[in-house]
Amino acid sequence: MLDAFSRAAVSADSSGSFIGGGELASLKAFIADGNKRLDAVNAISSNASCIVSDAVAGICCENTGLTAPNGGVYTNRKMAACLRDGEIVLRYVSYALLAGDASVLQDRCLNGLRETYAALGVPTGSAARAVAIMKAAASALITNTNSGAKKMALTSGDCASLSGEAASYFDMVVSAIS
Amino acid sequence: MKSVITTVIGAADSSSRFPSASDMESVQGSIQRAAARLEAAEKLASNYDAVAQEAVDAVYSQYPNGATGRQPRKCATEGKEKCKRDFVHYLRLINYCLVTGGTGPLDELAINGQKEVYKALSIDAGTYVAGFSHIRSRGCAPRDMSAQALTAYNQLLDYVINSLG
Repeated sequence: MLDAFSRAAVSADSSGSFIGGGELASLKAFIADGNKRLDAVNAISSNASCIVSDAVAGICCENTGLTAPNGGVYTNRKMAACLRDGEIVLRYVSYALLAGDASVLQDRCLNGLRETYAALGVPTGSAARAVAIMKAAASALITNTNSGAKKMALTSGDCASLSGEAASYFDMVVSAIS
Repeated sequence: MKSVITTVIGAADSSSRFPSASDMESVQGSIQRAAARLEAAEKLASNYDAVAQEAVDAVYSQYPNGATGRQPRKCATEGKEKCKRDFVHYLRLINYCLVTGGTGPLDELAINGQKEVYKALSIDAGTYVAGFSHIRSRGCAPRDMSAQALTAYNQLLDYVINSLG
């Protein structure tokens, strides 16, 4: 598992060079936006169960066949597994966002996920749609542009780049399973 | 590779929970100190050659026969070059440790197996200690870097010196 800092060390080591100049500038930006990043991680982890259940409810509403007999989440057991998997994916995305690097998501969550889902007969189209809904929800929560009562009392700032970074991790999940 | 953030994530992952408030505090603490570490890393990256040369000179003034203690023959220059190469290698890893905020790069890429290698090659680890001790005494704040940055840099030099002892 790597973070933004150890990623710089590993890539510099592969060429035997010192870390200076450009790499350090991007790490300094990471530090300067450190509080924003922690707020973004907090926005996801504090609303985790809400994000996950909304996403799963969303795919069930959009595709009523899922809850019908032989559907992807027919029986409570499958529904519970779906909610659990949604939470696991969201948790690894929150780790990746905290680290500023996707390696934890790739190594510990996505590696082999496609094969597992194929073996279990999980409908990957619906799973990918649930991840897309989580991406939209996370993006709104990170930029604090979500509607309703869940707005956080924060000093407002420009979190577009963090929201984009989180979106890229969700996109990795989608492309890993579909 | 171990750093504060990866340690925090590893602990959170092993108990299947989202990053907690105390995890955030640990990361925040590491980020606060990171500015000084990066400053030291930057200064070292732009000046490592001179630092390594000073270390080599210090080694050869204390051990005129070089790291293996054999009589200098025609390979005396070669010995110095290899000595400098090794110091640059250590300084590069110190640069990585300053960036990651942990001793992972030094541990994984130098210290593991170091004693065995030096023993097999009949290299006296004391020669490196002489070089690093010299570098350790040369750093000066605020001439070279800020006091906090120098502390982080010296901490890693001490770590290397202790690993060689």
